[in-house]
Amino acid sequence: MGTNLFSNYGEAVSMILFGIGFGNLLLQSNLIKKIIGLNIMDTAIYLFLAEKGYIAGRVAPIVTDGVQSVEAYINPIPSGLVLTGIVVSVSVSALMLSITIRLYQRYQTLNLDEISIRLKKEGL
Amino acid sequence: MLYIILSIFFPVFAGIFLLAGKDMRNRKSLLLTVSLVLIVTTVLTILAITLMGGEMITLFNLTDRLPILFRVDELSVVFSVMVLTVSVCTGVFSFEYMKHEEKEKRYYGFFLIVLGVLLALCFSGNLITFYLFFELLTISSVPLVIHNRSREAVMAGLKYLFYSLCGAYLCLFGLYFIEQYGNTLTFSAGGVISNTAAAEHQGILLGIAFVMLIGFGVKAGMLPMHAWLPTAHPVAPAPASALLSAVIVKAGILGIIRIVYYIFGASFLRGTWVQSVWMILTLLTVFMGSMLAYREPVMKKRLAYSTVSQLSYILFGLSVMEGDSVTGGLLHVLCHSFIKAALFLCVGAVIYQTGRTKAKELRGIGKEMPMLMWCYTIVSLGLIGIPPTGGFISKWYLATGALSSGIPVFSWLGPAILLISALLTAGYLLPVALDGFFPGESFDYTSVEKKEPSAFMMAPVLILTILSVLMGLFPGHIVEYLSQIIEKIV
Amino acid sequence: MELVQNFPAVSILLCLFAGIISSGLKKKAARWINTALILAEIVLNACTLGYLLETGESYVYVMGKFPAPWGNEIRAGVLEALTALFFCVIMLLSLEGGRKKLADEVEEGKTYLYYVLADLLLSSLLALVYTNDLFTAYVFVEINTIAACGLIMIRQNGRTIEAAARYMIMSLLGSGLLLMGICMLYDLTGHLLMSNIKEQVEILYASGEYKIPLLVTIALISVGLSIKSALFPFHAWLPDAYGYSTVSSAAILSSLVSKGYIFLLIKIIYRVIGFPIFYNSRIIDMLFIFGLMGMVFGSLSAIKENDVRRMIAFSSVAQIGYIYMGIGMGTQAGMSASIFHVLSHAATKSLLFIAAIGLTDVSDGSRKFRHLTGAAYRNKWAGAAFTVGALSMVGVPLFSGFISKLLFAQAAVQNEIKMLPALIVLGISTILNAIYFMKTVIRIYTPVGGNRYDTVTFKDMKSYVAMLICFIALNVILGVSSQPVTDLIEQGLAMFS
Repeated sequence: MGTNLFSNYGEAVSMILFGIGFGNLLLQSNLIKKIIGLNIMDTAIYLFLAEKGYIAGRVAPIVTDGVQSVEAYINPIPSGLVLTGIVVSVSVSALMLSITIRLYQRYQTLNLDEISIRLKKEGL
Repeated sequence: MLYIILSIFFPVFAGIFLLAGKDMRNRKSLLLTVSLVLIVTTVLTILAITLMGGEMITLFNLTDRLPILFRVDELSVVFSVMVLTVSVCTGVFSFEYMKHEEKEKRYYGFFLIVLGVLLALCFSGNLITFYLFFELLTISSVPLVIHNRSREAVMAGLKYLFYSLCGAYLCLFGLYFIEQYGNTLTFSAGGVISNTAAAEHQGILLGIAFVMLIGFGVKAGMLPMHAWLPTAHPVAPAPASALLSAVIVKAGILGIIRIVYYIFGASFLRGTWVQSVWMILTLLTVFMGSMLAYREPVMKKRLAYSTVSQLSYILFGLSVMEGDSVTGGLLHVLCHSFIKAALFLCVGAVIYQTGRTKAKELRGIGKEMPMLMWCYTIVSLGLIGIPPTGGFISKWYLATGALSSGIPVFSWLGPAILLISALLTAGYLLPVALDGFFPGESFDYTSVEKKEPSAFMMAPVLILTILSVLMGLFPGHIVEYLSQIIEKIV
Repeated sequence: MELVQNFPAVSILLCLFAGIISSGLKKKAARWINTALILAEIVLNACTLGYLLETGESYVYVMGKFPAPWGNEIRAGVLEALTALFFCVIMLLSLEGGRKKLADEVEEGKTYLYYVLADLLLSSLLALVYTNDLFTAYVFVEINTIAACGLIMIRQNGRTIEAAARYMIMSLLGSGLLLMGICMLYDLTGHLLMSNIKEQVEILYASGEYKIPLLVTIALISVGLSIKSALFPFHAWLPDAYGYSTVSSAAILSSLVSKGYIFLLIKIIYRVIGFPIFYNSRIIDMLFIFGLMGMVFGSLSAIKENDVRRMIAFSSVAQIGYIYMGIGMGTQAGMSASIFHVLSHAATKSLLFIAAIGLTDVSDGSRKFRHLTGAAYRNKWAGAAFTVGALSMVGVPLFSGFISKLLFAQAAVQNEIKMLPALIVLGISTILNAIYFMKTVIRIYTPVGGNRYDTVTFKDMKSYVAMLICFIALNVILGVSSQPVTDLIEQGLAMFS
């Protein structure tokens, strides 16, 4: 168990980061901190994917010097997934930020709970 | 085939058209329409029950295993005749009575829908059809309860709705199990639970039977779910109360007969804890209903409590599961509906003419409306069970059935409680008649004026009274007819 | 390959292109493109369904020239086509029913964006339904989330933006877990295509290796998707999002978006993990328990609610509980009951939302119960439609709700252990349903003295009434002749494995 954990330290770190990000997204009441949490969480997943796709001693799957052998390169699919994931997480973060700006303009605060309380008072 | 479907759907659609259509030009055309629908429905139903010989008619399939099907058997005939007689009488009574209520069109619309749904309940051939129309009955009769839309009425209507829906769901709960363990949901005399299933799952099936008894018992005002009845019945307009108290509650009775004798089978339930608990509940209800009626000053409420108690007479007869007692129960179904409808109509006529609602205010009423009070007195005697009225015959059968059943304790306790309750019945019905006819020395005779209600109100009361007396004088044919049912199911 | 086999892929792409094109064209065109698009989708999916029924077999459609295990695939079976068709129909009816309200509530210049978002949403829903590739599913889950968030926010007031923020946060938590689960599955099996993963998972399971990681993966995916579909206790965002957004959005969100995720979960259970493995994982019992809790607590919150829109929203929580209870039952019958309930709830809930808006409109826009008194007299059609929806929810025979309850109960009776809790909670929840829906029905039919509010007539709202009638018809059809639909569902489930 212990040795497994140590030899896969990349995955272990990514899981810890995922937990940190998840906790932040769930528990922070400040919207910006939530978004930071979101990004940590997503990045942790990309780290996990990259770690999984990496094979020690090989290079990125870009054909250089005419080497065509599969043995020379790492698995390209996780890299592709990471790229797609980054696109998704960027757009989601952008949307969250724009919502945050809207809310800040209206209520002059980033605290979601406080906004909820203000909304209840408004009685909308 | 056609007649059954028509007799059910004609009044329902007529009712829907009345509700959805534009207001009639005047009252007369509305009444004409309603009476026309009533006549046509009567004819259709009579055709249906005379021409149909017990064949199954599938309307459509809800799912592969659950057809909506109708069938006319002897029990349907008994109940549909009762439904029709009382509905037509109360309908005619409302022609005059509803003059002083608003929104007549809505009343008649729902009245006709309820009539159609009741007929459908009588003709239902399996449990799912019965359940379907049982729900529809609740939903379509709520508008009758909350007709005047006062806060009190709406609250009573809600109470009625919740009790009934809860009851219906208890039945639905049982339906799932019966579908699993029974061979079919189709009513067949003697039950549908196979012997192997009965032996293997006896515990759970008994539990289900009990749950369903309580469920249908809600409509029939059986303890512990009776509380809605005295609240909901009195707030409706008098003819609607009559319909509710005399006919709609009988849907619960019909449901209990169907599940006990046509789904589980008397032989399965006889001698089990379900039967004992059921008997205890009915006897408690009989006693409690009479006591509460005895203490109640408002006439309509008093009659509603009386309904609670009288319905449990019927249920007691059914719970004994012996030939005579079940005959008595079925006879009492007819008697009680005629009598209770007549009583509610009498009280309604009094309210309509004088506005008096409490028993105490009715002193000297016999001088003002003698004919009506005579009818009241006769049917009261019937409800108490004094010969030669129908009530005597039905209670006689109930008591002899119980005595000969040989069930320990209950065979003598039952008749004893019925007797006590009969005394209480006399105690809460007769003083009104006595005070009405003999108001005593202190009564101011000069203020008496004749207030006899019009023919529209008088005729239904008279017809119902005569029917209840006729049943007592010539019970032979009816008992003979009922024995055909009893033979098959007990 | 036959022409019809292209239709699922075409229908997804068509939506995407329609969204892109209508954001560039004139603003008024967006509406017509959207309507035409959905009609076209209905035709395409109906053709697919017909084709599948004729051949009786599902098929896999390879996107591009790369065969499995590298390429991206679409898979069409009876269940997929049926669900897609149904989603399109509900979408059309919901959009049309809320059209007038949309014009009132959204700024003039922005309505075309609404249709763009609706197009995107439809494309992602169809992709979720049809895809055979897990990562594609994830991407479209995110597109779905973004589009849904836009639908909530398009009506600009504080409540909706706050609701959108909460919705986004919960959704992102859910999709984070889902993505993690997918990555771990990829890690365990080395595949992203559903059928290939399933083979590998079966081998893994048989060999007994990686038991805990597999369990964690199943848990991550189930929890992620149940967060996204607002299973109790993850429903905090739901009442605000459904209650304050414009009515079409509420109808679409409650009946389609959450159902899309549920459909994906069912698909993953059958096509990725395999039903027996999922059944043995005990995650199923968690779903069952949370489903039961949702049924009760959702209804209880609905009873306490004083705002009709939020009440209907809370009722959704309860209904999603029903669906998860069916999934958690662990029988084929329970699963098909859940899928039937997905359809029946979609038809009923959008009907209720659309009808409720008719009622609030004739009460000065107030959604409080005391203002709704007598609203059914002021807008007769909406009143009748609301009553039908309420009766269906309560489970009165003849309407679709009864059939789903019946199916749930029939499924429950087959599982000895879960039978009693399921049936008892079903009973309790039904009675609670009856309490708040019947209360509302009686409230809207209680006459009110004086004539404070306007009355609307048929002439003012022809298309609205037409949509209500369509919804009612859909409900009654599902309720009266449910057998063909349940047969289709069973057939589709059989094709899944």
